[in-house]
Amino acid sequence: MNAIILSAILGVIMMFSGIWVNNKATLRWIALAGLLVLLISNIAEMYGYRIWNVNVHNMLYFDRFGLLFNSVAIGSTFIFVALSGSDINRVGKYAAEYYTLIFFVLTGITIISVYTSLLMLFLGIEIMSIPLYILTGSDKRNLKSNEASLKYFLMGAFSTGLMLMGITLIYGATGSFSIEVLNNPAIAQGVSFLEITGMLFLLVSMAFKVSAAPFHFWTPDVYDGAPGVFTSFMATVVKAAAFIAFVKLFDARMSYSSAVVDWKMLLCILIIATLLIGNITAVFQQSVKRMLAYSSIAQAGFMLFAVFSMNEMAKEGIIFYAVSYSLATIGVFAVLLKMKDFTFEGYNGLAKSQPVLAFANTVFLLSLAGIPLTAGFFAKYFMLASVIQTGHYLWMVIVAVLFAAVSVYYYFRVIQAMYFKTGEGETENIHPGFKTGLIILTVIIILLGVAPNLIINFLYF
Amino acid sequence: MQLLNILLDASATSNASNYFPIGLQLFFAIGFVVTMMFVTHFLGPKRKTADKLENFASGIETHGDARQPMAIKYFLVAILFVLFDVEVIFFYPYAVNFRSLGWEGFGAVLMFVAFFLAGFIYIIKKGALTWED
Repeated sequence: MNAIILSAILGVIMMFSGIWVNNKATLRWIALAGLLVLLISNIAEMYGYRIWNVNVHNMLYFDRFGLLFNSVAIGSTFIFVALSGSDINRVGKYAAEYYTLIFFVLTGITIISVYTSLLMLFLGIEIMSIPLYILTGSDKRNLKSNEASLKYFLMGAFSTGLMLMGITLIYGATGSFSIEVLNNPAIAQGVSFLEITGMLFLLVSMAFKVSAAPFHFWTPDVYDGAPGVFTSFMATVVKAAAFIAFVKLFDARMSYSSAVVDWKMLLCILIIATLLIGNITAVFQQSVKRMLAYSSIAQAGFMLFAVFSMNEMAKEGIIFYAVSYSLATIGVFAVLLKMKDFTFEGYNGLAKSQPVLAFANTVFLLSLAGIPLTAGFFAKYFMLASVIQTGHYLWMVIVAVLFAAVSVYYYFRVIQAMYFKTGEGETENIHPGFKTGLIILTVIIILLGVAPNLIINFLYF
Repeated sequence: MQLLNILLDASATSNASNYFPIGLQLFFAIGFVVTMMFVTHFLGPKRKTADKLENFASGIETHGDARQPMAIKYFLVAILFVLFDVEVIFFYPYAVNFRSLGWEGFGAVLMFVAFFLAGFIYIIKKGALTWED
């Protein structure tokens, strides 16, 4: 509860500080301070300290899983603003409003990680999405940004419509919005035609929000058109939050087999399609930004394994995956935003001109590819191990490993360009503070790659 | 009477075959529309004059193009009006349930008004309502 209320209030504070504070650097410090307060208040709630005691009428339930994810999301946002804050300020005139919208996105995220009612899921998804539509179009003079914003809005509105339709059908079938009723084994095994249709609608709209194939078509254009900083935010924190909602929603569907719909098989198709399209298309990209958009689709395929296997290990894994993927992607984008040229050629010879950036970028890319000693390795390990734990579907694991090997190709192309090709490797002016930030992020990723329990232990204490 | 029985049965079970009447209705609805459009297009008399091909604008003669640059202020005021108008609607259900919601409800509405006012002060401070440049 702390984080939900505080993030809304901090958003308003941020909004007003834009009127009274003219210096953009100061605004960034205010945002960082706000995020720190938010993070501390949320961690305090994990230990049982609540600032407000609001009667939520069983529509929210603050369990360890949701609260830990909130901490992860807020922490990642903190790192994101700390690293890329100067790039946020460069997007346009309204720096305070950008931070405001980020706070409001966090309000949505903190709701969808703890919801127990479909109404709250809908509300959370909307609170999360609407500020993102604005952030996507925040580069007002840029036609591509406008196009991306409009596309994202129309497609997002459509998928939200599907979600509402699904919720309506489920309410018609069960007479309840509660996911406790929905996850009741008797209902999960498929009692009525209406309820199953409703769940299918929800599956489609959630797959859209996490950009799983074949509902991924908006992703490359939106990620490419949006200002780079906000792409970084969208592809990491927001996507991970949508996964948490997904996991909570389909808990029982995956645990009990239904006589009518083979939910596991549906998820199987979704995962294979996502891995295939994400990885294969990423190989052919010329722009690193667009490659990262496709790679985020491919990573979504891996995260879907948590929804698929749905056991203890999957729940630990999705949190860990959220951390490792978010941190690595935020890092890669932070470096990308400093480049003058977003194509692979732009990275040529970066190791000579900016050795620190090149090294940090290499670690982030290795983590995304899932190479041992980085956080990404354990993230992928947890996902695949959770599938093996279910006892079936070993072939899925083999397919996933094959696609992970494909992903190595396009991640390593960047590393190859940085270290083994000659070129200028032109960047913007690099502040020493930025380098320090990158090194800290690198250390965190390697630390988590050696001791993943640092995060997972927070689920149990 | 027979038709009524079908409809009553449809609500009793959720078997797919009971949706047959709905399918039938859908078929007739689409069929009717398509047939009528087809028939009017091919059988109706056609007399095209310049006046008839004009865009219909409530009977008033059209002046120029609608695609002219318009001051953004109009748009801004209109959208802000809609926004605050809709927010005020939330007071009605509260007014109806004023007694039963008690102090907790009062607190909630107070919070709503606070956010509402914050937004209002924000747009005034941002100068969204100043008409002259």
